[in-house]
Amino acid sequence: MSGKIITIMLGCALLTTTVQAKEHPGKEQILKDGYQGPKTCEVCHPGKAKEFLGTVHWKHASKADHVDNLNHKEEHGMKNRIYTMCNGNDIVNNLKEIPPNAAGKTKFSGCNTCHPGDHTIDVGSTGPEAEQSIDCLICHSTKYDFRKRKIVKDDKGNVVMTQDRSTEAAANIGRPSIKNCMVCHEAAGGGALVKRGFSMTKEADVHVSKGIICVDCHQAKNHKIPTGRDPNNWASDGIYMTCVGECHSEKPHKDAGINKHTAKIACQTCHIPRTGGAFSKDFTKWEKMSNGFYEPSTLKREVNETAPVYAWYNLTVSNTPHFIGPKGSRTDGKSKIYPFKLFQGKAYYNKKDGQLLSMDFAPPMATGDTLAGVASAAKILGIKDYEPVPGWQTIYFGSNHQVAPKGKALGCANCHSVNGVLNLKELGYSAKEVEKLTTPEIYFEKLLKLQQENE
Amino acid sequence: MKKALSVIMVVVVMFLASFTVVRSASAEEVKITGVITKIEMAADKKSAIAVLKDNKSGESVTITITDDLTLDKFKDHRIVDGDEIRTKFEKEGDKNISKMFKKTAGC
Ligand code: HEC
Ligand code: HEC
Ligand code: HEC
Ligand code: HEC
Ligand code: HEC
Ligand code: HEC
Ligand code: HEC
Repeated sequence: MSGKIITIMLGCALLTTTVQAKEHPGKEQILKDGYQGPKTCEVCHPGKAKEFLGTVHWKHASKADHVDNLNHKEEHGMKNRIYTMCNGNDIVNNLKEIPPNAAGKTKFSGCNTCHPGDHTIDVGSTGPEAEQSIDCLICHSTKYDFRKRKIVKDDKGNVVMTQDRSTEAAANIGRPSIKNCMVCHEAAGGGALVKRGFSMTKEADVHVSKGIICVDCHQAKNHKIPTGRDPNNWASDGIYMTCVGECHSEKPHKDAGINKHTAKIACQTCHIPRTGGAFSKDFTKWEKMSNGFYEPSTLKREVNETAPVYAWYNLTVSNTPHFIGPKGSRTDGKSKIYPFKLFQGKAYYNKKDGQLLSMDFAPPMATGDTLAGVASAAKILGIKDYEPVPGWQTIYFGSNHQVAPKGKALGCANCHSVNGVLNLKELGYSAKEVEKLTTPEIYFEKLLKLQQENE
Repeated sequence: MKKALSVIMVVVVMFLASFTVVRSASAEEVKITGVITKIEMAADKKSAIAVLKDNKSGESVTITITDDLTLDKFKDHRIVDGDEIRTKFEKEGDKNISKMFKKTAGC
């Protein structure tokens, strides 16, 4: 069984390397005619640009039927959501030049920098002009020169995000590498590895050490990229994935005792024992940085420094002003125990209706005045009747990457000892059941045998 | 194979014991934030030095970078002169060896 899995994994790895080694058949043509943007690609790949405009990567939104308290007819995502990991969205934090700080310095800031458009053609725009503004190369080129991706003001005063459209970059096309995806995913949440502490390096994930990359697991079809059910990744291209699929079955272990657990315990629970990144932010008080600008005060840890919390999850999401996280229970017949990164953020709520308010970061970034940020966002959104009061929000982030080497997966005693990682009582087990689940009876024979074999 | 498996299982059990985070107790670790004034790749491309102007002291600090991820960001210019960097480094002999080298960023 495990032999078979290893073969499949090696298969994946080999697939990756051979594909990357292959030269793109369009290279000659591109070197000859140069690169004029997506229309150059569409000579041989017709329809790709239009197709891309329909994806989450372009729209930063989609319907999210599995999330509570939303208008399910509308689309939701980074474009318009508000939570306390990033207390705004593409609308209130549209890319702009922020006011000068005390030292007279200014800079550009905005959420929609992580978008493959040029900003004058923005998130969710449509039509032929939008098609031609897509930065295909940010995901597909191995020779992208990031000096050419800059934020500048054009002669009309519009803020523009430039792209590398050089022939050199366009002549070096392939499947997106980890690096291509990490252009945006690494710094989500306000800096490297902040939101998820999600590092895809050989050291951090067993798959990467076998040569497996993002798009080997996230197998895109027509630019629809499958995603999972992280309670804080609402937008999707309508395709979902889990650990179980082409590479792994529900029962991947030789040990039937472990396999019995997969009905109630998600693979991630045992195989991703650690999480990391930011665990708390305060948007009501920003810290002054040594460069004279302010940033949301953030408590963070390294990639592997945080123990996850464990909860039942039936893949539907509780969404209230003070809590966004998994719904589910031991008894609903659908839930499994998943690991989450617990995050708590402080921001302003509207005393009039109890809802979380959003913040335009430009004013506080320059002066530290967070209420000015709330006022600016309210103005952009046309909210007139509000009274800001600070409050806390608890968020559960899915922990779905950084699979540890199998020797570091949780073993019997990690969970079945009295001080195990699961809070069995909170997870809905009765005192009697907890007693039964935490007696060494459960694992003693097995572990003793292994210990003897090893001596 | 059996033997290998048992080693693994014992490691699994051991992991419970080693679950607490081991923080590097090195007293030599220094953290600074500053703007890059110079990046220089070594001829073999396996290391680079970056000169940072420390925001606090205004002094120039030369840091040696050896990790592939950061080196790659120098190569494709994701990190360039003028970028502000948060770094942690350790003094090893006369060199400041980078342990972390990240661009600062607001949310
Ligand atoms: C002269 C024709 C031609 C041009 C121009 C061209 N391609 Fe291709 N491309 C091909 C052919 C042929 C294939 C291989 C067959 C296939 O997968 O469709 C291919 C394959 C690909 C693949 C799959 C690569 C892989 O390894 O799986 C990607 C991605 C791609 N092209 C992107 C682009 C992009 C982006 C552009 C514009 C910069 C472009 N192509 C321009 C002909 C072209
Ligand atoms: C230009 C920036 C950018 C690049 C490059 C990028 N992403 Fe994303 N990605 C985003 C943003 C922003 C979102 C969140 C949008 C939202 O939820 O509103 C996202 C969402 C996602 C999602 C969840 C939504 C979905 O489409 O299913 C997945 C999965 C994903 N990205 C994978 C990838 C992979 C794999 C790559 C590399 C091929 C990649 N991304 C490259 C910015 C980027
Ligand atoms: C460096 C790129 C980047 C920047 C800048 C960025 N984001 Fe995102 N954001 C992402 C990616 C990638 C995702 C999806 C994957 C994830 O959540 O890890 C995402 C997801 C989100 C989501 C969840 C969307 C959903 O579908 O549920 C929200 C909300 C969000 N971002 C808010 C913001 C706000 C507000 C800002 C600006 C203050 C911002 N982001 C700036 C990359 C970015
Ligand atoms: C957000 C990242 C992203 C952007 C931007 C992007 N692509 Fe892709 N593209 C992908 C991914 C992921 C795949 C699937 C790769 C795989 O698994 O082999 C893909 C596959 C392809 C393929 C080969 C498979 C197919 O569907 O035919 C072509 C051709 C292609 N892209 C062209 C383009 C063109 C042209 C553009 C610009 C209009 C573009 N891509 C923009 C991520 C992106
Ligand atoms: C070993 C396979 C694998 C690799 C490699 C991988 N992912 Fe994932 N990813 C998953 C699975 C599985 C899920 C969903 C799990 C679930 O919800 O059950 C996921 C979920 C996600 C999500 C949704 C938010 C979250 O964290 O749950 C995003 C965004 C994402 N992946 C982006 C990426 C990017 C970008 C890369 C490369 C840097 C990458 N993934 C590499 C398997 C992988
Ligand atoms: C109760 C904890 C637990 C759960 C749940 C669990 N695993 Fe494991 N898994 C382990 C342990 C412990 C090992 C190492 C010992 C072994 O291989 O039997 C392991 C090993 C593995 C291996 C390596 C097998 C080998 O022989 O090399 C794979 C692959 C794997 N698990 C995949 C999964 C997948 C996929 C799921 C979800 C369907 C899952 N695991 C669920 C604990 C778990
Ligand atoms: C991630 C934590 C975790 C790990 C690791 C784990 N278990 Fe469990 N185990 C549980 C939970 C939770 C249950 C109860 C599941 C349910 O509600 O059906 C359980 C149930 C059991 C049961 C059934 C108990 C009963 O009387 O109903 C046995 C036997 C068992 N585990 C043995 C083991 C052995 C042997 C190992 C090591 C190979 C192991 N477990 C590893 C969490 C774990």
